[in-house]
Amino acid sequence: MKEIFLVLVPTLTIVPTAIAAAFAMRKISYTAIEGMTRQPEVAPQLFTAMIVAMALVEALVIYCLVIALMVAAKI
Amino acid sequence: MSEIVQHYLPYIIIFNFTLVAVVLIVLGIVATHRKLEEVPDPIQNVAEFALEWFVRRARAIHPDGVTVIAPFLASLFLFILFSNLLAAVSFPIIRIPPTSYYGGTLTLALIAMFGTTFISAKFMGARGAIKHLFWPNPLQLVTKVSDTLSLSLRLFGNIGGEFLVVLLVVKAAPYGIPLVIHTLGLIPAFIQPLVFTLLTSNFLAEAVHTDKKKAEVDIQTSPPFSAVAEGKGAHGS
Repeated sequence: MKEIFLVLVPTLTIVPTAIAAAFAMRKISYTAIEGMTRQPEVAPQLFTAMIVAMALVEALVIYCLVIALMVAAKI
Repeated sequence: MSEIVQHYLPYIIIFNFTLVAVVLIVLGIVATHRKLEEVPDPIQNVAEFALEWFVRRARAIHPDGVTVIAPFLASLFLFILFSNLLAAVSFPIIRIPPTSYYGGTLTLALIAMFGTTFISAKFMGARGAIKHLFWPNPLQLVTKVSDTLSLSLRLFGNIGGEFLVVLLVVKAAPYGIPLVIHTLGLIPAFIQPLVFTLLTSNFLAEAVHTDKKKAEVDIQTSPPFSAVAEGKGAHGS
């Protein structure tokens, strides 16, 4: 029983977070690319802002990845 | 990873960091001890492009701080980039990137945060730098700690996760497929140093920022009130 939980908990930690982050990143990149095509002269600034915003979203996934690794290390 | 490698992992990380530092120093000596041309050849062109990017960012943070801020950001960027690229070297010990170990990334994040504080102390005085930690909000000290954690965890998660995936895939399918995973792993290896440097420069701009400078810039860039009232803004016509 305990082994099942130790396999399930990291999986259930990381998978919903990855799905949520995928939606957030879709929104970010969609908006940024739309802005870039609309105004190509501000494309470098938008690209920088897009990378930073994506990094902030990604950090949340990585917190969950660290938690999942900590749980998985206990197997 | 075998037992022996696991046991000596901290020493391997230190060795790899030293290796990266030596490679960077040698590259720097080679790049600067050659005849610089008016019309640059490809190597000089790439070096000048990279340098110019950092100089522009440093000038945006503080106009007088180019000689301090640009080398700080550039050395962080190059060090992390070359550490990440060690994963692509297929040599038994050297192929472990030091940034896939939490101690290594925490060290880099601490260097970035302490460097930020010291540079802000250089421009605003020690009192100004300490005041920035507590004023206007005492929770800024907590922000410093959480920023350090998030910087180090982001780098560790990306590079370490990629490295872990490669190890697992090699166990499952030893030939062919790991090459694809390795190639995909080169993307975060280039993006992550960029993100690290960008965030560090954002923290730096926040710490060095003075109200007086911002007020001057606002006055220079914003159109006079009468022009706005008549519908002839800065972007008018």
